[in-house]
Amino acid sequence: MRLPKFEYIEPTGLKEASSILIKEGGARILAGGTDMLVNMKHRVDLPSLIVNIKKIPGLDSIRKENGTLKIGALTPLKQVSVNPDVLKFAPGLAQAASSVGSYHHQTMGTIGGNICQQNRCKYFNQSKWWRSSRELCFKAGGETCYVVNKKDICYSSYCGDMAPALLTMNAKVKLVDAQGAREVLLESIFSGDGKNPLNLKKGEILTEFVLPEDSMKGISIYRKTANRESIDFPIVGAALWASKESGSLRIAFTAVDRKPVVVQGALLTNKVEDIMELASKSARPVNNSVYSASYKKKMMGMLVKSMLGELN
Amino acid sequence: MKQAINLNVNGDTYELLVAPNLTLLEVLREKIGLMGTKRGCDLGACGACTVLVDGEAYLSCIMLAVDAVGKNITTIEGLSHEGELHPLQRSFIDNGGLQCGFCTPGMILTAKAVLDEDPSPTEESLKKKLAGNLCRCTGYKKVLDSVMDVAGQSSKEG
Repeated sequence: MRLPKFEYIEPTGLKEASSILIKEGGARILAGGTDMLVNMKHRVDLPSLIVNIKKIPGLDSIRKENGTLKIGALTPLKQVSVNPDVLKFAPGLAQAASSVGSYHHQTMGTIGGNICQQNRCKYFNQSKWWRSSRELCFKAGGETCYVVNKKDICYSSYCGDMAPALLTMNAKVKLVDAQGAREVLLESIFSGDGKNPLNLKKGEILTEFVLPEDSMKGISIYRKTANRESIDFPIVGAALWASKESGSLRIAFTAVDRKPVVVQGALLTNKVEDIMELASKSARPVNNSVYSASYKKKMMGMLVKSMLGELN
Repeated sequence: MKQAINLNVNGDTYELLVAPNLTLLEVLREKIGLMGTKRGCDLGACGACTVLVDGEAYLSCIMLAVDAVGKNITTIEGLSHEGELHPLQRSFIDNGGLQCGFCTPGMILTAKAVLDEDPSPTEESLKKKLAGNLCRCTGYKKVLDSVMDVAGQSSKEG
């Protein structure tokens, strides 16, 4: 399967990369490429220009700074999964990184690329030949979303493994463009729009994740249910963060909605059944994968139960 | 627009004129003629196209050739040394770790990356890391045996 044609550029600085992205409307950033190149082979992503940001120095390190843990966006997932600081202060993040795809995807794929991946759907992530049996779905450029049979809406799911683990730790992200940089909560960059999953301004590049100091004093866990133990995207992925001292509890899910979902209002002192119910009510999965929405809801509760069990 | 690039494959430098949309797999097979690297699913889901890029296991079907400039690429052809098979290749033969052989280059190169990282892995961690290489002939027992055999040797020697 050939890749579609495109122009290719390797900027050496962030400002240069950002101005290229602003100038060329159809430009896309290349990091590990494990998501984007597959979508391009399926002809659901057709960039006119690929901007390889891997030649920009300084974006692939993990370091402790003023009590926070900073992870560069181009850090390979494998490095995240074995880094001593991540294992010590954010083990849930290491578990999430080692559950992405296969060993090869973890070697090639980056943490920033994993966060910025495309949403997924059984009508979208298919070959051109498979999709040719009907009109294009809304996400691929047509009019109708076949999941709900409605026009001008997209019900694809966000399926990244890293997002829930980072969200439960209240991670922030650094976004850089030619004008400067801003730091925002990771939660705020997910749009909830299946067609354009990220709320980034034109020309903005995600460069770093920042884990706040207090989130590293809790317990973090990531669990995933998938078809196989390797290679697959999650059917449901769930992360939990808890502090036994304060009793606070945060839970987040992936692959159940148009963006990763954070459960509000859960407390460690609540009954397990109540937390399970709260969790499974937090998202509205739809039948956009081979697994039914009701199965996903059940699995959300089961994953929460199993993670709460690990706390004791 | 085509670009003139130099690729370092198995210690040799190749001067090539390639379009940016060619994958490393396509360049290895079609431009350089190294057919040991296999095209399986062509979507990064089967591991048959595995090559080593600076010693790490990469899927060459979802990597641009222009992105491999300046890196040391090793394919299955570069594993034997002066006519001597690499211990992993020898072990796959001795243990019957292959049938049709299509997945074998990917299996061996992934195994090499894993063993270079950790010379005596547990069977559990080896299984997790080799799980991205699919074999459609039969099970994975003999593949695991082949790799564990070499792992045992290196732990005894070193």
